[in-house]
Amino acid sequence: MNLEGRKYVILVFILLVGSIYLTRLFFMQVVDDQWKLRAQEIAEKRKEITPPRGVIYDRNGKKVVTNKSYYNLMVREEEIVDLDTAAFAELLGWTVEKVKNRFYQIKKGEGRYYNKNTKKWQDNYQKQRAYPFIKELSIEEITRIAPHLERFPGFFEDLTSMRSYPFAGGANIFGYLNEVSREEVEEDHFYRGGDLIGRAGLERFYEKELRGQKGIKYVVTSAMNNAIESYANGKYDTMAKQGPALTLGLDIQLQVYGEMLMQNKRGCIVAIEPKTGEILAMVSAPSFDPNLMVGRKNINENYSKLVLDEGKPLYPRPLAAEYPPGSIFKLLQSLIGLQEGVITPQSGFPCTKSMVGCHNHPGAGNLPDGIKYSCNPYFYYVMRRIIQQGKKKSMFADAEIGLNNWYDYILSFGLGQEFETDVTGMRPGLIPNSAYYDKWYGHNTWAFSTIRSISIGQGEVKVTPLQMANIAAIIANKGWYYTPHFVRSIGNKGSLPQFKKKHYSKVDPIHFEPIIEGMRRVTYEAGGTGKKAAVEGITVCGKTGTAQNPHGEDHSVFIAMAPMENPKIAIAVFIENAGFGGVWAAPMASLMIEKYLKKKVKDKEKENYVKNANLLNVKKRPSKH
Amino acid sequence: MRREDSLTRHVDWWLFGIVMTMLIIGIANVYSAAYDPEHPSIFDFSQKYGKQIMWVSISLFLGLVVFLIDSDIYRKFAIPIYLFCFSLLIVVLFTPPINGARAWLGIGSMGIQPAEFMKIATAIALSSYISSVNVKQQNMQTVLIALAIVMIPMVLILLQPDAGTFVVFTSFFFVMYREGITFDPLVLKIVNSFPGIRFKQTWVGSHFIPILFYVVFLSVITLLMSKNQYELTFLPGVLIPGFIGVISVITILAILSYFVLRWLSAKRDRSRVFLIIITGWLLSCTVSTAVNFSFSSLAQHQKDRIELVLGLRKDDDGKDYNRNRAMAAVGSGGMFGKGYKQASVASVRSNHVPESETDFIFCPLAEEWGFVGSTVIVFLFMFLLVRIIIIAERQRSAFNRIYAYCVAMIVFYHFAVNIGMNIGLAPVIGIPLPFFSYGGSSLMSFSIMLFILLKLDSQRRDVLS
Repeated sequence: MNLEGRKYVILVFILLVGSIYLTRLFFMQVVDDQWKLRAQEIAEKRKEITPPRGVIYDRNGKKVVTNKSYYNLMVREEEIVDLDTAAFAELLGWTVEKVKNRFYQIKKGEGRYYNKNTKKWQDNYQKQRAYPFIKELSIEEITRIAPHLERFPGFFEDLTSMRSYPFAGGANIFGYLNEVSREEVEEDHFYRGGDLIGRAGLERFYEKELRGQKGIKYVVTSAMNNAIESYANGKYDTMAKQGPALTLGLDIQLQVYGEMLMQNKRGCIVAIEPKTGEILAMVSAPSFDPNLMVGRKNINENYSKLVLDEGKPLYPRPLAAEYPPGSIFKLLQSLIGLQEGVITPQSGFPCTKSMVGCHNHPGAGNLPDGIKYSCNPYFYYVMRRIIQQGKKKSMFADAEIGLNNWYDYILSFGLGQEFETDVTGMRPGLIPNSAYYDKWYGHNTWAFSTIRSISIGQGEVKVTPLQMANIAAIIANKGWYYTPHFVRSIGNKGSLPQFKKKHYSKVDPIHFEPIIEGMRRVTYEAGGTGKKAAVEGITVCGKTGTAQNPHGEDHSVFIAMAPMENPKIAIAVFIENAGFGGVWAAPMASLMIEKYLKKKVKDKEKENYVKNANLLNVKKRPSKH
Repeated sequence: MRREDSLTRHVDWWLFGIVMTMLIIGIANVYSAAYDPEHPSIFDFSQKYGKQIMWVSISLFLGLVVFLIDSDIYRKFAIPIYLFCFSLLIVVLFTPPINGARAWLGIGSMGIQPAEFMKIATAIALSSYISSVNVKQQNMQTVLIALAIVMIPMVLILLQPDAGTFVVFTSFFFVMYREGITFDPLVLKIVNSFPGIRFKQTWVGSHFIPILFYVVFLSVITLLMSKNQYELTFLPGVLIPGFIGVISVITILAILSYFVLRWLSAKRDRSRVFLIIITGWLLSCTVSTAVNFSFSSLAQHQKDRIELVLGLRKDDDGKDYNRNRAMAAVGSGGMFGKGYKQASVASVRSNHVPESETDFIFCPLAEEWGFVGSTVIVFLFMFLLVRIIIIAERQRSAFNRIYAYCVAMIVFYHFAVNIGMNIGLAPVIGIPLPFFSYGGSSLMSFSIMLFILLKLDSQRRDVLS
């Protein structure tokens, strides 16, 4: 037997194994990427650090939206040792059943994935991962629970940040945050499941600014998922950056005061600084404490309640409620009439109640008095002159030209369209033109007499309270406005460019003088409809309105600006079903003006009168004005 | 004789150099894998790298001691050495278990594993016995005694239990094969018990060991691959089942070896070489295919059992957990690796790969140095093994040669199983990678084993027989 050959058998065997191993190593390390992915999955974690959202200040530098720390009670199943469910449930104040259910929920909530290698469905849930067992515990709650947690290994607390509103007002302005939907996560790679996103108001409009920049930290993690060290000494890490602070034109104290005045009423108050277009206050009543909509727990509890509430607190009335403006519209008709030269400040019209109804007052011999008395026939005649200028022989064709001309004027006051602004949820309102009536009645079948109700702000005309306040601002500025907006400055970069552009109405400044005089008379002269709007030491120019409402009691409207000499505030008050504008809306506007200009309201009697009124279920139906 | 003044004269510096290289790379690697920023000094003896330096020093000191002892004593005292280690193996069974095995003798953390030293004792005893046998006249008794020398310690080791060392002991069968101790008497006894059959010798009997191991090796690889599917980059969408991959590798190797052997062998042998390769290739493919299909035709619970043994089960706490993570560490190294101390999966602190400083020491190495580094390690082992076989073949004494083969096969086994489990080609069996893994017993026993060989080799000219 030749044994010499056998040394080669052994040598070949050794070299064979060596070469197989080298082949395999080459395949694993150089060719196949599967193991690199697996290694990343095992050891490298991209930790995203979400910065707290940008805070929001009001015009006086008061923090109105800020962040508050909350705690999550986390659980890592792997670390749980002999959990005494009964004792744990007692600590949380839960039932044993609820504790068990919560475990099941967490597992189910993570979903499943299809593993291609094993061809099986597997849970995303991992025992070595930490999951929130209870979310959003307050500091009080966690201080009660935390000291006992060492008896329950696997449970620990984790700090998170959520919105907080130091002033319980402005819910309709700020909006709220909620967890992102699956679609949003897919659409924008900024978000991960469980992240918060602005759902309404400023939070939604300035989402991209407020959310800031996420920091990304690459860490090498241990088998227990603990970070051990930063990956590659943090070469690829980026810092989290909090979003810039927003400074608003809003005066939070005025806002809160307005909400207080509007309690037990339905409607809104919008106040604008005419010189800047900044919204000083925007009350939507009924309102709610914005803190009710912070965090998943609260939202789950309160959202459905708010949705189902009869008063529709989530409905953004100042922006979306399209009301007939009522008599305040007479101001615009006067301006257009003057600009068109169809009337002069000295024009007088008799109070003939044949075409439109009116209340009893002396005849208006000039335009300011027409405004003071809010004489319906007066403006019927004004409007007729605007519409029927006799440019065409046919009455119908003439009305068409007149209406479209009028339409262009009205649009230059910001009506019939949505503002390009940082307020979301806006509706355009409605201003009819010839096309509108053609569709309604047919071409050349309508004339002024058909559409006469729009002369006193009734009929087809629909305006939102924000637009009403803007009318007051335009009058205060004698012909121009900045788009009403909230944010004065993003960080220190100033406001958005569209808020720096002046919009001019098609009426010359000179024509505003008699209108403003008329508005002064409304408040201060005998026979004025809005005498309850007077404020001591301030000249308030206003105009009442009473919007007819086919569904019930008339709406009470008042727009005003003050002081007359140098207007600092333009305001619109709209109270649903409150009847004549001078009764409720006018005193409400005066209180707001006094609060804003003097910081304190002297006339406590008026304040209580307005504050304590409950106008939610008014039965009485006073005469129209 | 000039023995005294030639103490270092006939030392095989190649072997010594390779071992020293491995020890130095080994220390650097343990330092990197177990690095703790709070203890930055490599000489910090509270840390594993500090301890490893200590163990290496102790091992080298033992090596020096071994080198000062006349190599004659091993042959002379083969039986006492064997019996001494054997008694330690019995004593260790009465100690309290550590990590579920009664493998450690000693106080606290400074214990030794008798099984490690039993390997040396068995190598010496086996060398001593076989060198005294006339191979041409072997009978049943020769086989049984040789088997007993190897298998009795195996039984004791299995009782500890220490599956790794148990498997390593089967390496002695290769030595028996090399020396011509055949299983023929056993095989003949069985075959000839059938009426009408009278063989004088069988091919299977005399090549029993390599055939058996080749079949086992091929089967294990096929089974390990049976669940894998490969998608080649140039053939997207086509999934190639694992056993086809095995067969492809065999085919490539067959073609390669044909050209190599054609170039090496004489003209008249070529047809025979061709025949052997064709036969071997056909048989390999048949075995691989057969194993693959017979495995897939098994019932699920049988499959589960086999998969559990092979560590294929997806079980978080099971062995596949380690294997999968070890493979991720190795595979993520890429061509040039992540850099020294940059292992993210295999570092000891991250604890993704358990035992990454001992049994899975290849992981941090492959992750940090990539394919280039892995190749260096595999080549170092190939050099070492080839060098030992060259040394073995130049010995005048049969004892020396057999001992050298024992060392070669033991080292080869550790290499094959250890790196194999790191790259998913061997089941997870906890045995250390010689000269690399952290730990005193393995370092000491391998050093003593190697230095005995060095000593035997340096004195080979003194031997007359």
